[in-house]
Amino acid sequence: MSPQIEEVGLSTTAERAAVVGAAGSTPDKDWVIVTRGLKREYDMGGEIVRALRGVDLAIRRNEYVAIMGPSGSGKSTFMNLVGCLDTPNAGEYWLSGQLVSTFKDDELARVRNKEIGFVFQTFNLLPRASALHNVELPLVYAGIGSAERKERAMEALTKVQLDNRASHRPNELSGGQRQRVAIARALVNRPAILLADEPTGNLDSTTSEEIMKVFETLANTGQTVIMVTHEPDIAQHARRVVVLRDGLIASDTKREAFSAKLVGL
Amino acid sequence: MKFFAKVAMALEGVTIAFEAIKSNKVRAALTISGVAVGVFVVVAMAAAVHGIRESFQKDLDEFGATTFQINRRDPGNNQCNSPDDPCPDRKNPPVSLDELHAIQGLPEVAYAVARIGTSTTMTYRDHQLKAVGYDAYTTDWIRTDRADISPGRSFTESENQSAAPLIIVNDTLKSQLFGDSDPLGKEITLEGKPFTVIGVFHTKAGFLKTLNGTGPDQPRAIVPMMTAWRHLSVYKRGIGVSVMPQPSITRDDAMDAVTALLRSRRGIKPGANNSFYLVGEDRIMDIFNQFFGAVFLVGMTLSGVGLLVGGVGVVAIMMISVTERTREIGVRKALGATAGIILWQFLVEAATLTTLGAAIGLVIGAILAELVKIYTPIPASIPPEAVIVALVAAAGTGILFGMMPAARAARMDPVESLRHE
Repeated sequence: MSPQIEEVGLSTTAERAAVVGAAGSTPDKDWVIVTRGLKREYDMGGEIVRALRGVDLAIRRNEYVAIMGPSGSGKSTFMNLVGCLDTPNAGEYWLSGQLVSTFKDDELARVRNKEIGFVFQTFNLLPRASALHNVELPLVYAGIGSAERKERAMEALTKVQLDNRASHRPNELSGGQRQRVAIARALVNRPAILLADEPTGNLDSTTSEEIMKVFETLANTGQTVIMVTHEPDIAQHARRVVVLRDGLIASDTKREAFSAKLVGL
Repeated sequence: MKFFAKVAMALEGVTIAFEAIKSNKVRAALTISGVAVGVFVVVAMAAAVHGIRESFQKDLDEFGATTFQINRRDPGNNQCNSPDDPCPDRKNPPVSLDELHAIQGLPEVAYAVARIGTSTTMTYRDHQLKAVGYDAYTTDWIRTDRADISPGRSFTESENQSAAPLIIVNDTLKSQLFGDSDPLGKEITLEGKPFTVIGVFHTKAGFLKTLNGTGPDQPRAIVPMMTAWRHLSVYKRGIGVSVMPQPSITRDDAMDAVTALLRSRRGIKPGANNSFYLVGEDRIMDIFNQFFGAVFLVGMTLSGVGLLVGGVGVVAIMMISVTERTREIGVRKALGATAGIILWQFLVEAATLTTLGAAIGLVIGAILAELVKIYTPIPASIPPEAVIVALVAAAGTGILFGMMPAARAARMDPVESLRHE
């Protein structure tokens, strides 16, 4: 018996399966992310934990999606798979038209570098490096020369209005500024998706709003944003909300409907 | 991975290494001290050997590139120290005065000088000096030694032949016996016999002389060979001959002529071994190199141990560093660093640590070499190639011993390491 609960979502399991298409087929260009029957299991000392039990999900270019779910729902596991930090036990993961679920470690590193911009809850800036150097790092791994690196890193910092803090170290910046540096770092290599994991988890509500505005602006300028959060009011900023429960998608709601549902409650 | 990324990572690795050293001074100091000590030991030793060798070479050059010596025994054979040693050389006869004259008569030979060195008590009035070293020389000593006598003169051949009781003193002996007064014409007593001072010579400074106690600061004298032969108790079997070939003759040709002469005079049958040894500068250098090669080997072993200790330190500090920076490694991987790049970064860091240690060892070694040069007779100087070898060996140690921690960092799972607190 599947514990899957259908809410007032835009699509049922069958509908989602129809959207993601048949196994092995290359998704349409329009879909930046397609997962088909994605499964991830962990062996916890002999006991098999099924973190993801077959997730079908398709995300279009330029979408702004929040992934929600209680702890243990599999949302972290899902984020790690989408971020190419981990590989599934079964199922397919297509990212920008590439079947990355079959990729080896070095190829995954290249995909992370080129296609994904990470924003973490704890910022994860290198403490001993300046803001500028932190932002340069993905370009270092992309093999880009020093002059171009500096220029592009400066550009990215300007986008988050921190060009005047370029030489500051993380400990000389406020929480909100640190997260903006992290966003600049995530964007510097022009990734296909911006992947944010609880980006406001360590910030007060005012600063959270500030960061949400940055995301809003990025989404409005055509950046695909995927945000994992457990806070409904943060998720509310997204235009589509996917809720995971027990390793499966419990609901998949467009913003208007989601808001209506919240109002309706 | 791209070349640029590697270079950029190398530079970053060096920067990170220096940051890590700054933030963990004690730990870093302990780590690099092993390497520093290893390098320091080998550099100090190399400096001493190099310095000794250079000045030794200078001594030999002064001695004359073509000059060679006739010895009774093989100078490279150390097995002649006790009567029980298997030492056929002991039966070899010394060079006789007749043989010396015959050698002097060879057309290939410019000069042949015989020398017997010994020491005795010398007395002038109430000044008595014990164990003053002196040399009994044949007349031409002044040419092979390129001696410089002032005031006064050396002895003549006829004075030598008539065993005239004449003596030449060096500056030190002069001032110890006579102070500031004029030494010429004064009489010194040796073994109860009076010797007239006819000149003052100036002992040239030389590393070998300093080592065997015949340097310019030691009192020393020279007497004619025949005078010593007839009137003083010198060890006649200890006679040594220096041969200086004619300028147009090569050393090998002169050696061949001397060998042929001595073999025929001594009636040595064809195929039988020589009962004497001709020792050129190269042979002396060989013996030197043999000895200091062993010293150098010991130095290399010691520094190898130092590098090993340093290497183990590198493993320890890098292991701690990798654990402490697990999260950083996760972040770097998330941003696109491959396992190879992470490996490279930590190897560069380890190599930076050990190379820094080597640099410190070199500086300390250089300071010590300078001190040794100032305060001892050893003219220590660091050979330039030793600097390169030390730095390369240290960097190699860093890479070798950094491999294990770096591989651990490279293998880390990105998800796990990002979750690490």
